[in-house]
Amino acid sequence: MAVKLGMVIDAASCIDCKGCQAACKVANQVPDGFWRNWIKRGDEEKAALDRLGLRFQPGNCMQCDKPTCVAACPTGATYKEAKDGVVRIDRELCIGCGQCIAACPYDARYRHPQLRVADKCDFCAERRAAGLQPACVDTCPTKARVFGDLNDPDSPAGRLLRTKASVQVVNQKSNTDPNLYYLGDPGPADWPVQAKMPTPWQFWKSLGGPALEALVGLTGLGVIAMYGRQLILGDRDQPPDHASGQPEGGDHDQRA
Amino acid sequence: MTSKQFVVSRRGFLKLGVATAAAAAAGGALTARPASAKGGLKPGFESKFTVCDMCFNKCSAIARVSDGVVQKLDPNPKFLKSRGMLCAKGNAGIHQLYDPNRLKHPLLRVGERGEGKFKRISWQEALDLAAAKMGAIAKEHTRCGMLFMAGADMQSTFVHRFAEAFGSYNVISHESNCLLSNNRAFLDTFGEVPIPDVLNSKYILMVGANRFESLVTPDSIDLMTALRQHGCKLVVLDPRYTKTAALANEHHAIRPATDLALMLALMHVLIGEELYDQRFVAEKTYGLEQLRDHVRPYSPEWAEGETQIPAEAIRRMAREMAAVAPAAMVYPGRRSSDYANSTQIRRGFAMVNALLGNWDRPGGLTAARVVGLKGGIPLEAPFYEDNPPERVDSGQARLMFEEEGSFKLTRDAVLKGEPYPIKGFFAYHVNPMQTGANRQKTIAMFNKMDFVMVMDVAMTDTAWMADLVLPSQTYLERLDPASAQQGSSACACVVQRDPVVPAMFEAQPVFWVVKELAKRLELGEHFDFTVEEFRAAQLADLPDAPKALAEDGVYYNPSRLYGVYEGKIYKTKSHKIELFNQRYAEAGLDPMPVYTPLAQPPAGQFRLVVGRNALITQSSSTSNSLLLQMQPDNDLWIHPEPAAKLGIKAGQKVAVSSPAGRQVLTARVTHETRPDTVYMHTGFGVMSKELAAFGRGGCIAAVLVDAVDEISGNMAMHETFVQVAAA
Repeated sequence: MAVKLGMVIDAASCIDCKGCQAACKVANQVPDGFWRNWIKRGDEEKAALDRLGLRFQPGNCMQCDKPTCVAACPTGATYKEAKDGVVRIDRELCIGCGQCIAACPYDARYRHPQLRVADKCDFCAERRAAGLQPACVDTCPTKARVFGDLNDPDSPAGRLLRTKASVQVVNQKSNTDPNLYYLGDPGPADWPVQAKMPTPWQFWKSLGGPALEALVGLTGLGVIAMYGRQLILGDRDQPPDHASGQPEGGDHDQRA
Repeated sequence: MTSKQFVVSRRGFLKLGVATAAAAAAGGALTARPASAKGGLKPGFESKFTVCDMCFNKCSAIARVSDGVVQKLDPNPKFLKSRGMLCAKGNAGIHQLYDPNRLKHPLLRVGERGEGKFKRISWQEALDLAAAKMGAIAKEHTRCGMLFMAGADMQSTFVHRFAEAFGSYNVISHESNCLLSNNRAFLDTFGEVPIPDVLNSKYILMVGANRFESLVTPDSIDLMTALRQHGCKLVVLDPRYTKTAALANEHHAIRPATDLALMLALMHVLIGEELYDQRFVAEKTYGLEQLRDHVRPYSPEWAEGETQIPAEAIRRMAREMAAVAPAAMVYPGRRSSDYANSTQIRRGFAMVNALLGNWDRPGGLTAARVVGLKGGIPLEAPFYEDNPPERVDSGQARLMFEEEGSFKLTRDAVLKGEPYPIKGFFAYHVNPMQTGANRQKTIAMFNKMDFVMVMDVAMTDTAWMADLVLPSQTYLERLDPASAQQGSSACACVVQRDPVVPAMFEAQPVFWVVKELAKRLELGEHFDFTVEEFRAAQLADLPDAPKALAEDGVYYNPSRLYGVYEGKIYKTKSHKIELFNQRYAEAGLDPMPVYTPLAQPPAGQFRLVVGRNALITQSSSTSNSLLLQMQPDNDLWIHPEPAAKLGIKAGQKVAVSSPAGRQVLTARVTHETRPDTVYMHTGFGVMSKELAAFGRGGCIAAVLVDAVDEISGNMAMHETFVQVAAA
């Protein structure tokens, strides 16, 4: 069976220390105010009031089996790697149109303000090439994030998946079949949104399928059209604060 | 990939990736392109061991270096004390190294003190000036007229050595603003400061500690392993609903300043119901009979009135602990600079542990193990006849640690000029302007000085107040002595620090500075060695260490973990674990802690409590550009009920004021604190305009009143009542 890289996460072990977020920022030179990964949490006010426990939920791009971002990409810049299932972005092909950002139910993508391309977690491709774990996994104090080949029953992640009950966190209307699994109670689960697909494009694709996609890619027609869009959008999302970064992880994420 | 050229501001140049920093350092060029637009590690990087310096834990780490630039810091999987992790601060170490605001060359004050006007001078000028000033102070006020303060740094040992060679007894550490009450209490009960075996514990009562936010290795990590894999129960008592509380099995928002009532009630139940470890207590402790009488009045029902924790819950805690003892503990904690009687409060913690019989046993409190690291090159300090007989802070706190001193009592003495004047101050890698309660008094202390010299990596608030500011190398540029570490069942080990990249700018290690000063002050013979030679002397008895350090970044010396005290005496007067402390009795102190209700905030006021989280190390990390993105400022936690009465809404600016001062920061209206308690993180509200955190949040030291633990001389920082009003 082909390799399918994924993560099995024990949310109950997460202490919300943000080690994974800091490690990712440095490893991937993620610009100020943007994040490739996150830690979400439940309603802390309610928890404090009712003296309930609180659960922290680490996450990042889920490297989905049915990736809406890939479907939404007009140029083929976003693609699913055949050899390991990781969804990657070819920066040479990306036109920064932002379709994939809206198409992701998990808000896992942002537009890089300097490079003007979409960016997101790729399980630290360069680190893996050097024989290292993804930065977030390597650094995690409580080892809440377990990484590996989900198709290999003896990999650390595969073993967990095989032996323990796990769930995926998805939006019912956009089930992308993600490759992030949570052991037991994942904590907040109502946050993924419905994927916003570029309707006309989807229509063309449904007519033409891969052939049309390839054709557009070759002729550059789609590229030109979308580049126009990028010019219009300009750098409106330049300041780091809210823009298209993660909903969690910025200034407003702070609970001391 | 883009080929655009970016022109960036000085403050902004890190945003383009750290690789540009090396270019900037070398040529001063601030025009650069993102060197690694793809991100990630470049193939062919080197991996070099280092020891993190972003907090006191000193985790072994691996620097990934290419082209002389640190690209990433990773945990060292062989370093068991950290359980092979590197926290957010550790990852952010790279932003300390390449901080555009770093101190780059010596600076001499040209404006008023604290005005922030400095001019660049050469090292030659700086060292000549410092030596002349120190010499003049020694001549006029004796050598004890110089005060030295050094933080928890691997080179602080050289500052202490210099002070001793120079001839001043007045050397203080950061610790008297932190943990000395707890150390005093456990030392005076067990004869040493224990290391909790969190990993193997089945029941942990955590009081006045926040281990999932305020990271201590390996306890923070082991606590989660114990909870998730070993079925340990965690009960947290904290006026705040911290993350530790949120992840605990049980949390009680205890009324502040009543921890001792709870400990006495636990002892009341343990003894009254004969739940204590009778054999252990009979064999190894001193004073059970006195304690039995002492705790009789302290029933759980009585304690409920003080702590506001139900009597039944207290009784249940005692029974549950006893049921799994000795694998049960009252967690000893660390920062205990809280109340005027904090040593006695912490004695209560220690004594419950003694009754549980958990000393030197799995899941309890373990003793220090010998790693075999030696002290380095011995110093034969000269004797100076004209010196006064004692430290300037002596004779006040009854049992002050002479080797640590008391920042609070020293500052008082400087302000009074008694028992003798102190006119010079050298601070290294320590920031009392932010960590010592009552900032106005610290400023006044500086103003009493003829000469203040501060060495650090960045322009801290303490450096901001200095006459001479010296740029220190960061830990990633330095060759440091070896350091012994111990953490629970994890290890007893040695780490050392080698430079992973060449030093930037004109930054130097403090070793070089004191060596140069020593030469100028005719003390050169005491520094007639290199750091390599010092380290070799430290490692003299560990022939296997250099190889292990080179290959693994850490050296372990296998040693017994439990039962270390079998057949040995305890280092107390009775040679047993002292429930009744005889030395205290002789000194006129309560030999067993007596509960005296501490003042509670009057109507309309709040108790201010302070702390940190996993993104903050006191004040040394809060200006880090990466950490600031996750922790941009601090706010004031206030409960919704009083907030509504005061008309304070979430997100609004509020003024927090006390007799010590006033700070303005944003209100965080939350049920996560008690109605009578407000909370602030440390490290914000800085005065130094050279820090990225300038203009963010409020400073705890500017609001905290400076009370003192009467026994240890530790600062007592939770004795402050504040008023809160919309600003």
